[in-house]
Amino acid sequence: MRGRPVLGLLPWALFFAAFGLLPLLTALGLSFFAMNPLRPDLTRWIGLANYGHALTSPAFWHALRTTALFVVVSVPLTLGLGYLVAALLGRVRRGEAFFRAAVFFPATLSMVVISLVFKSLYAEQGLLNGWLAMAGLPPFHWLQDPRLALPSIIAMDVWASVGYYAILLLAARKTLPLEQLEAARLEGLSFGQIERRIVFPHVKPVVLFVILLDTIRAFQIFIEVFVLTRGGPLESTLTLVYHLYERAFYHFEMGYACAIAYLLLLLVGAILLVQRRVLREREAVAA
Amino acid sequence: MKRASWALLACAAVSLAPLLYMARVSLGTGNALPIAPADWLRGGLTLDHYRALASGGAMPRFALNSLLVTGIAVPIQILLSAAAGHALARGRFVGKGVFLGLAAAFLILPRQVTLVPLYLLFAKLGLLDTYPALILPHLADPFGVLFMAHYYQTLSPELEEAARTDGWSPGAIFWRIVLPLSGPGLAVVGVNGFLTTWNAFLHPLVLTTSESMRTLPVGLALFAQSEYSVDWGALLAGSTLATAPVLVAFVLFQRQIVEGLLQGSGR
Repeated sequence: MRGRPVLGLLPWALFFAAFGLLPLLTALGLSFFAMNPLRPDLTRWIGLANYGHALTSPAFWHALRTTALFVVVSVPLTLGLGYLVAALLGRVRRGEAFFRAAVFFPATLSMVVISLVFKSLYAEQGLLNGWLAMAGLPPFHWLQDPRLALPSIIAMDVWASVGYYAILLLAARKTLPLEQLEAARLEGLSFGQIERRIVFPHVKPVVLFVILLDTIRAFQIFIEVFVLTRGGPLESTLTLVYHLYERAFYHFEMGYACAIAYLLLLLVGAILLVQRRVLREREAVAA
Repeated sequence: MKRASWALLACAAVSLAPLLYMARVSLGTGNALPIAPADWLRGGLTLDHYRALASGGAMPRFALNSLLVTGIAVPIQILLSAAAGHALARGRFVGKGVFLGLAAAFLILPRQVTLVPLYLLFAKLGLLDTYPALILPHLADPFGVLFMAHYYQTLSPELEEAARTDGWSPGAIFWRIVLPLSGPGLAVVGVNGFLTTWNAFLHPLVLTTSESMRTLPVGLALFAQSEYSVDWGALLAGSTLATAPVLVAFVLFQRQIVEGLLQGSGR
């Protein structure tokens, strides 16, 4: 097998280079320029000024804080519920296929569609306030109250993501030998004890992996904000990628937007490294 | 045991209720909120919203654009993934490890990084607001290639070796031996490619400017931006339309979707 099959790589490699790697490197290059596509004559090299601007800009830090808040609340909720649902799915004897499909289906949907449905549920005259009114309660301004908007988005995001992680965690549980569970049951261990002593240690690598996956995903939240709140009210839902989008496509600060993108990339890279370090230390301790 | 079933029934209800609500409103008559629970339990079923969508406005165009983009991008993705995956699994060449590493890194890094450069690239090529701008970025997705490389590694090369000693050309071997054996793997690549292409939002949003070039997700999202007079009936009918192909794919290919997810397909 020499030579020839490599030709098959070429067509995709060209697309990957042109629309993957090249833009990735271009973004790094652009982050050192002041660049407005409407005034190409003013494009100029400014070194690290875009990064300096971002790191001293209250708007950037606000977006970063908002995103971090979203991550810190939504990731534990999503994964905690996902773990619980996976445990339930692993325990149920009848109808598992139906329950699995029902819980998983939302994860395959367009986030735009999900956001639109929730926008109608959260609307001033929407279903949620309709139910509150039926119960004789005053309405909530789900998306208009600066204190409620981010929690409302988080609730929707958790709803949309739980199934995805439940399926990943369920697959990990299924790799546990049934005999081992059966033996534990015969020894008289309760469900809680089996979960803590046998199942959790077994699925722990996957748990750590999905923490990483969901954290990286959550840092990129955009569609929910775009459809539901456009960053408002009072910028209470203005996340990092939404900030990037606004800078690039409303203010045409293309170089600055690329610097924000690379800061996001560095952040995600740092999370990956920390996670890997933690994993390695754990292994060293275990060994 | 019983308790687990009840808890799961509650989960399934919470999971499906918003979608049933969407479909129910889309089949009702009301355009404006409030759409009271009483209305959607008692009210009749009509196709009024769908008829309105079909007869006027841009929704048919959005649907056509989505169908065209997905219908063109996904078959090409499948072929590219098979060819490149096969080359990576069978070939031995300098830089293969680097290539695999780059592709894998691309799967996990935030794609928004490429947003501005892609916009400027397509602007420079004069391709903003065209079908190539909507289709080409999808062809760079590394998931299918990595998945197929893994798939071919688990497939014995014996048949290919035998054909080669019989004097078959590499092209003939690929089309007549490798591809026919690739069905299960390509089904995973195809259905996951369909989901990511059909649901794509940020790139299509940025790379199109005129209403007639919007895909369904972009069209629907911008349709909902008109703050004061959102036609919720039409909007949720459009959302239901955008969901229907996903539901069909889900029913037919759930196993493949899960397999893709376990192998690292994004969402």
